[in-house]
Amino acid sequence: MLAQLARFGAALRAGGARVGLSDELDAASALRLIDLVDRAEVHRALRIALKLPPEAWELYDRLFEEYWDGSPVSRRDPPPQAWSQEQRRAPQWHWDGSRVRLDVPEDERDAPYGDTPGYSPEPLLRRKPFEQCSAAEIAELERLLARLAPRLAARRTRRLVPVRGRGHADLRRSFREALKSEGDLVRLARRARALDEPGLVVLYDTSGSMDGYTRMLLAFAFALRRTMRKVEIFAFNTSLVRVTRMISAIDVVSSLEKLAAEVPDWSGGTRLGGCLRDFNARFKDSVINRHTTVLIVSDGLDHGDAAVLGGAMRMLRERAGRIVWLNPLLGDARYRPETEGMRAALPYVDHFAPAHNFDSLAGLLRHLA
Amino acid sequence: MNEEIGAVQEAMERCGYIADPAIATAVFLAREMRRPLLVEGEAGVGKTEIAKVLAQMLDTELVRLQCYEGLDTHTALYEWNYQRQILRLKIAEREGRDPGQLEELIFGREYLLERPLLRAITRRAGPAVLLIDEVDRADEGFEAFLLELLSDFQITIPELGTIRAEHAPFVLLTSNRSRELSDALRRRCLYLFVEHPGLEKELRILRAKVPGVDEHLARGVARFVQRLRTRDLRKRPGVAEAIDWTTALVRLRRSALDAGTVGATLGCLLKDAHDLQATGPEALAELVAHAAAPG
Repeated sequence: MLAQLARFGAALRAGGARVGLSDELDAASALRLIDLVDRAEVHRALRIALKLPPEAWELYDRLFEEYWDGSPVSRRDPPPQAWSQEQRRAPQWHWDGSRVRLDVPEDERDAPYGDTPGYSPEPLLRRKPFEQCSAAEIAELERLLARLAPRLAARRTRRLVPVRGRGHADLRRSFREALKSEGDLVRLARRARALDEPGLVVLYDTSGSMDGYTRMLLAFAFALRRTMRKVEIFAFNTSLVRVTRMISAIDVVSSLEKLAAEVPDWSGGTRLGGCLRDFNARFKDSVINRHTTVLIVSDGLDHGDAAVLGGAMRMLRERAGRIVWLNPLLGDARYRPETEGMRAALPYVDHFAPAHNFDSLAGLLRHLA
Repeated sequence: MNEEIGAVQEAMERCGYIADPAIATAVFLAREMRRPLLVEGEAGVGKTEIAKVLAQMLDTELVRLQCYEGLDTHTALYEWNYQRQILRLKIAEREGRDPGQLEELIFGREYLLERPLLRAITRRAGPAVLLIDEVDRADEGFEAFLLELLSDFQITIPELGTIRAEHAPFVLLTSNRSRELSDALRRRCLYLFVEHPGLEKELRILRAKVPGVDEHLARGVARFVQRLRTRDLRKRPGVAEAIDWTTALVRLRRSALDAGTVGATLGCLLKDAHDLQATGPEALAELVAHAAAPG
């Protein structure tokens, strides 16, 4: 019975349901309490003890039939039907037959400059693809980016935390302070709504195919880092390196040189799926929570196994608040995300966006804050 | 079927709650395994009601903690009665007593204000039913705190020390799924998802909840509401709405559904302007015809 339960749990996991060992133990205790002859009761009790949400019920019903209805279990690997991806929001892009269309709200599309007031750079420069920019132009763009980033506003929660100066009077703490001075209210303590700081994890593809964009995109990442305290930057191509503290945001050029020296295989090929899996294993738990936006910057040209990439994306999806994929190639009207890697990854991406010029990066900010 | 589950189902029914086997099984398992029960489902399917009935069934106190964004431990757990403490200090000062000796006195249990969570674990007369309602509305930080409470049933108050539960309460958490709860919290609980009831169950609920309702009317309402839920609505009417509507119809002395009455009282069922607009006269006529059809 227990062995059967373990196989059942493994099958559910393989199907994409979040079933852990503790859930299986709960299921085992539940089985001891119920009438095992009553099939419907076993069905109900296991569903309750394994804590399966309605999205997983279809998978559960299917596997339950297979594993608990006395039929010999032959199939070891159930079809990898990931229910968890279907419940997510529809991605903000669609395939219109000839190319990818981003489903951008109307106002955004019509007014490309309208949403980023406060400066007036050369419109031409803002739309020029990075790989065509001269060194001077790049430097100019970097300055623009640095000014753009402070717009990333953090949300205020309704939770109240102690503050100095302005805020609501906090009688509780005031009285508490007063106890120290034998009941005399010397100072009024105050509290105000806490800042909910968003976190950002940038996973950065430094392979040869990305060379034209690397500098600008890293400058973008560092501009963000100046205003968001919780930014982690990782570079990958054939292996993954945490570069957050390796680089200075002030001098992108020398930082890039330093990086190129320290990151193995800089400008080489990509092992996208393997690197993401590596990221999940080593860093996921420490740097990602449900408020984190994961920003993957890659052209999706993967030399590895697409299934590995899909699996890694799914794990990431379960943990992170949002996944934004920046693909510089998307700025090219002829580009289609048909590479195997891109297709495996897209179902888990919340926002798929181009990143080939300044405007595309500026427009992205709303998806990060 | 396990007899005890049947007994739970019957007991709940005696308290006026028509429980399907899934609900009875979940309540039974949570009780036997001494685990909190997390109940999810759309608004109005009777999640909160489970806790109320449970308290009635076990003949114990229902301690309810309504969650909201910004809920903190001082509202949920305990708070010192500062005003009283200061008053005590002032009196002591007049009497010329040494304030140092007073410390133990003013941080005693009688100066402690019990909030729901503390109340639930310190109840002397047997385990209480603790309902933590709409836990998805509280901040995640609060979830982590709950987790600790739910695993040990003990609370540490710096000035007083650790307070252990005399009787571990029966804990029910509800969530409207406005956000995903943490895996850790989910793992700690057993999980029940409550769906809208089927026709027969809804009919039985209406009969139980609206005394004196005409059988013909109850069936009509149940069929109408069941059909209405299949439409594309922003907010589907729950059982609570169906009960309200039936009560309204009984009050209006109707014994059958007609298009005019339905149109005038639709606000009992649909509480979203968009849904009301989307359910025009033709749709209503079709629904009324469906409700009246035999079988």
